[in-house]
Amino acid sequence: MAIALRAQGLSKRFGGLKAVDEVTLQLAEGQILGLIGPNGAGKSTCFSMLAGSTPPTAGRVFLGETEITGLPAFRAARAGVVRTHQIVRPFANLTLFENALVAAVQCAGRDHAGARALALEALDFAGLSARQHQYPAGLTLAGRKRLEMARALACNPRVLLLDEVIAGVNPAEAQEMATLILRIRDERKVSIIMTEHVMAAVMRLCEQVVVLDAGKLIASGVPREIVQNPEVISAYLGKKHEH
Amino acid sequence: MSLPPWISRRALIGLGAACAVLAVGPLLHDNLYLHNLLTLTFIGIAAALAWNWLGGYLGQVSFGHAAMFGLGGFVAARGEISLHLPMVFAWIFGGLVAGAYALLWGHPTLRLRGPYFSIATIGVGEATRLVGTYWDWLTGGSSGLSLPMHPNLKYTLYWYGLALAALALAASYALRRSSLGLSLLAIKSDVDAASDVGVGAVRLQDLVLFLSGAMMGVCGGFYASYFSYIEPGDMFGFDRSISWVLMGVIGGIGTIAGPALGAVIFVLLRQYLIASYPQLYLGLYGILLVLVILFEPLGLTGIALRLFHRVRPDLSVTGVAGED
Repeated sequence: MAIALRAQGLSKRFGGLKAVDEVTLQLAEGQILGLIGPNGAGKSTCFSMLAGSTPPTAGRVFLGETEITGLPAFRAARAGVVRTHQIVRPFANLTLFENALVAAVQCAGRDHAGARALALEALDFAGLSARQHQYPAGLTLAGRKRLEMARALACNPRVLLLDEVIAGVNPAEAQEMATLILRIRDERKVSIIMTEHVMAAVMRLCEQVVVLDAGKLIASGVPREIVQNPEVISAYLGKKHEH
Repeated sequence: MSLPPWISRRALIGLGAACAVLAVGPLLHDNLYLHNLLTLTFIGIAAALAWNWLGGYLGQVSFGHAAMFGLGGFVAARGEISLHLPMVFAWIFGGLVAGAYALLWGHPTLRLRGPYFSIATIGVGEATRLVGTYWDWLTGGSSGLSLPMHPNLKYTLYWYGLALAALALAASYALRRSSLGLSLLAIKSDVDAASDVGVGAVRLQDLVLFLSGAMMGVCGGFYASYFSYIEPGDMFGFDRSISWVLMGVIGGIGTIAGPALGAVIFVLLRQYLIASYPQLYLGLYGILLVLVILFEPLGLTGIALRLFHRVRPDLSVTGVAGED
């Protein structure tokens, strides 16, 4: 299967702290890859490096065959790797439509009509087109997470990095969000890496899971194996006391 | 005639009509005092709008724009005196140098977040004023520079001033309403999130800074030609920098035409107050500033929008403000 995104020996140091330590991972075309781990494991830092918001200390990132290591975020986004944020960051001074349009314009360039169509389509896909003239302040948290995804989709990404889009919303909304993620993969042919605290969602959505602990990759495999892996269990629950 | 979709026909006609009235006005009724007052207002409008591109559209409030105004003024003056450049070319020359100077200090400082950019601009403004006072070869030192006077020059400059103000207003409209303006508002709201969806923030911030600085420089050049005498303490003065902040805030920071309105009020009020209560006028501006910030963050534009909404509640006016 073709590889959509590949990271090789990705590392990030903050002074003496190794936030991410030699992480190597592959995202296949059309796959949903789960990136999990306890708090502070380095998931968000990993995301930032893949999306270009933070330059890695060492290691390389490839989008397909093209190397995108160290590209600034806006170039990585235009190349096709787009992230969402765990803490939603809507443009509060723009309507929902304009929020999506900002992103769409970057891809469609001077083609005004094309950009508007792309933005509207992305909003529609995320189920927000009825509210396109409202401002983000009027949305619930789930709505804002949808907006975050609509805005990312308006970039026409090849790889989408979803940072905790399900955590924090109620169960019904979580169901809808999971369906939306599957639709993005199936209908828009986008490969996805997601970090998530809600394990049920990870089990349902991800074909492959990668586990980080203290910056290191400690396990990778299909979800069912991962939850039985003793190292993963001890990373989450702590080690059993030896007698 | 086909227009880009973001240009509203009404705005175009409105601007055209206003310019036409102001252009033929002096021919019908010649009043030297009014003539002078309007020309001053035109420079105020152009400069306040240019300040707003950076301070309003991008949310990077500058307290040091007099640095570009002064530099553009002196470079243009030198261009006229020493290089014998025609007036308009001297202004453009001054504008380009001022824009380049803005990039020189602004490219690194625009990366600062929060109030730190504004604090840096205070430093830049003051440093430029001091250096300007010592660089006799450019500014003539504290005795200043005198420019050649022509008969009828002031009279003619009225129309140049009008053109300058109209150009600044058209540029404000274009910057805000085109898709570029949307990116600027996104940067203002959250520069990281904007970068994450593909907005090249650094290049856009630098572009706006250059345009803003260059327009300031052209205004400085115009000012030099109009008064035919300039002096560094006045050109680079801190109160000059503050005056554009005040015009922006009074008229409506971040709005398209608000700062122009603010400039009109500012110049008229100042003219009246300086004559009647010379000690009081700065204090009154302070009070006005506090009132605006407390009650109507969008200034006069905000008040106008509210009134308009009361008269025609069916018409929603969106996208004019770009407030946070």
